[in-house]
Amino acid sequence: MRRTKAIVAVAVVIALSVVMAACGTKKNNTTSNSSAPAKTSYKKGGTVTIVNVQGQTWPCQFNPFNPANNAVSLGFVYEPLVFVNILKNQAETPMLASAYQWGADKKSIDFTIRDGVKWSDGQPMTADDVVFTFNLMKQTPATDLYSLWSGAGLQSVTASGNKVTLTFANPAGPYFFNFANQVGIVPKHIWSTGDAAKKPDTWEDPNPVGTGPFKVDPCSANNIQYTANADYWQPGKPYIQKVEYPAYLDNGPGNLDLASGKGQWGSQFIPNIAQFYLNKSKENHTWSPPVTNVALYPNLDPSHKATSNLAVRQAMALAIDRAQVAKIGEGGQQPAANQTGVVTPTFNKYFDDGALKSSGYDKPDVAKATQLMQSAGYSPSNPLKLTVISVTGYTDWDASLAVVKQNLKPIGIDLTVSDLAQQTYDDKLYKGDFDLAYYGSAGGPTPYTELRQILYSKNSAKIGEDASTNYERYLNPDVDKLFDDFATADDAGQVAIIKKIQAAMLKDIPVIPTTESVDWFQYNTSDIGGWPTEQDPYAQPAAFNVPDTGQVLTRLYSNAAQK
Amino acid sequence: MRFLLRRLGFFVLTLWAALTINFFIPHLMPGSPLQALRDRTHNKLSPQALQELLASFGFKPNQNIFEQYLDYLRDMLTGHWGVSIGQTLGTPVSTIVGQALPWTLGMVGVATVLAFILGSLVGTVAAWRRGGRLDAILPSVFVVTSALPYFWVALLLILMFSVWTNGLLPSDFNYDSSLQPDWSPEFIGNVLQHAVLPAATIVITAVGGWVLTMRNNMITTLAEDYVRMGRAKGLSDRRIMYNYAARNALLPNLSGFAMSLGFVISGAILVEYVFNYPGLGYLLYNAVQNNDYPLMQVLFMLFTVAVLVAVLVCDFAIAWLDPRSRAKG
Repeated sequence: MRRTKAIVAVAVVIALSVVMAACGTKKNNTTSNSSAPAKTSYKKGGTVTIVNVQGQTWPCQFNPFNPANNAVSLGFVYEPLVFVNILKNQAETPMLASAYQWGADKKSIDFTIRDGVKWSDGQPMTADDVVFTFNLMKQTPATDLYSLWSGAGLQSVTASGNKVTLTFANPAGPYFFNFANQVGIVPKHIWSTGDAAKKPDTWEDPNPVGTGPFKVDPCSANNIQYTANADYWQPGKPYIQKVEYPAYLDNGPGNLDLASGKGQWGSQFIPNIAQFYLNKSKENHTWSPPVTNVALYPNLDPSHKATSNLAVRQAMALAIDRAQVAKIGEGGQQPAANQTGVVTPTFNKYFDDGALKSSGYDKPDVAKATQLMQSAGYSPSNPLKLTVISVTGYTDWDASLAVVKQNLKPIGIDLTVSDLAQQTYDDKLYKGDFDLAYYGSAGGPTPYTELRQILYSKNSAKIGEDASTNYERYLNPDVDKLFDDFATADDAGQVAIIKKIQAAMLKDIPVIPTTESVDWFQYNTSDIGGWPTEQDPYAQPAAFNVPDTGQVLTRLYSNAAQK
Repeated sequence: MRFLLRRLGFFVLTLWAALTINFFIPHLMPGSPLQALRDRTHNKLSPQALQELLASFGFKPNQNIFEQYLDYLRDMLTGHWGVSIGQTLGTPVSTIVGQALPWTLGMVGVATVLAFILGSLVGTVAAWRRGGRLDAILPSVFVVTSALPYFWVALLLILMFSVWTNGLLPSDFNYDSSLQPDWSPEFIGNVLQHAVLPAATIVITAVGGWVLTMRNNMITTLAEDYVRMGRAKGLSDRRIMYNYAARNALLPNLSGFAMSLGFVISGAILVEYVFNYPGLGYLLYNAVQNNDYPLMQVLFMLFTVAVLVAVLVCDFAIAWLDPRSRAKG
């Protein structure tokens, strides 16, 4: 989950990979995806070990409302109403709700709760539990992580028979991902008594009772072991009978265990992956789908004269060779981003390729960039001095910014990279105390989520105050209006809106995307099959994505158990 | 007696000063637990919701700092250490520390004691036979190893004994995650196996210092009149070496040893990181990274108390071993 945090960790991996490469046997690595038709069911058996660096030993708490711990409970033990697949145009898989129906204006939604689902203690799961879960978030605002009641305008949640109705003050389309996919449903009969009822936000939930494919059995500081839920509502699943989730403190040891095959499901950055991991075995694979942008955030506040000057931003966007940044800075492990801010190929449906090409930002244009800088009064002999803030220990960012610095030099920008401790960096970023910041934003089911975070004026703040996500301080009422209209638009309308927002990205250059950050994912196929792949992206593959882990866990199977 | 009382008084005063610094320095650090939590959740959740959550775990940023300080002093003394508000959000600090402490004490502690004993022995023998073959080789070798960085030695050991030998010795964790902790011989064997490489790292890098100082002390002591007197009396070499010379040569090293025992508890952060060894060292690193005030405060207090107690015990031990130190008490 972590990127390369400690310099030491990086040194560890690099040192080891160099030496190991020198004495390791080079094997040709070709994808061995069997072309046999996908079977629909598999025999039970086998164990999968997850390597996802946590940097902590397990506290053995499984409260799905605690964001520090819920990645080990959501998907494994607790399940959502509907699974939404970000990687496949929000393809939906009904989970605890077998169906749903939007009301007029998308201001209400009816979920039909699935029959025959049992909690792992044997009690039936009903519409009551769903209503209880949502009302719990109202009574204890600290559990309402997605601000459904306070922000999204949720007004009431009621049950009638096996139907649950959520009503909203405003059209709630964009929040579907949050309330249907991200909220894990908890059992009323457990959460309405004792400590759980008194303090649902801080309760440890040491022995979680859920509907999911696995049960915790047992948890220790070093390792969480999950065993299959024999009464899981999807018949015959899960195929895998045991999941081991050791607590890795740092990338180095985790990466070693991945390379040796001791762990099969990897979810973190491996430097020099070809030599260190892929060449170790022909059963080792990697597929890391891009989900969000890493970008240069210029400070748009008029007090920052250079970066609030459009010509300077245009020149930077033209001068940066994104392919080079991806290749050298990220070692080819992240793809290049583009100036529209839409992550490709993941969100190709929304991507306006034509607009990008006609804007001229599709490839570097140093001549035009130099001209623009001259119009702003700068040249290589009289360079503009700018400082970009980044985070100490993010070695891939350092390498990327070194490329950016070289790209900007010929057009007359002298870039200084200032590596700051994480928290100092945060402080400057949130308060707008920077000329340029290098930052990777968070994403969502459509480009709307990320672009809204970056561009929506309500996510901004005055210089000196904490902005929630719009750190560059972009204020454009027309663009705000587009975001406001998104909720009520139909599918085609939403694509049209995102295209208009891309036009604003190309016209105003509020941020300059460089690379696309990815879900780190490595997998070993010597025993385990059924992994998500580029050909079959049925869920986000990294083990830190909730509730996507639940989808992967119900598809994995052991080859040894099939014999 | 007055000597002991004075030492005790000094101990209490130092403890209070250290506790006060331990409280204020972390609060002067840039950032806040909220920012750290926002980073860890990748800004996917609203800052208000997270603020609310931290508040329910007892984070009170707006409370008067001196009230917080008084609460802190009281909590430290009464053992109400609260819950973590960092990476292990919501876990009682006593649980976290309780899980990590035995591993650090066991592995780092034993390694430190071993390094001291080994170093002192080698130093004694080397000085006794100075100019000999042993004296020519061992001290210089140990000077080199003590100059090596911890993590580099750790990497080398992993490479030699784990990677190249196909996992002869385990390179991470404190025991196999497939085992459940109990007192069976199998489990204990597994724990020892996992401790070999990290402990070896510490011994290799720490032993050199003890060898050098012990050798130098020994050489000075061997020139003393009472050693010559022992020889004149016709005592055995062994008796002179250990009971006459080494006993006195060891004294100056004792307080250094006490200090290093105190520092055991702060763990060897890098060693624990490289070997994925879940001790106190990495806990401290995480706590600082995430502005986890409750955890940081408790860890700093433990480190302070450990060093102070070790020094106090050493003072008493020296008072007992060396009558001169009491003379002007």
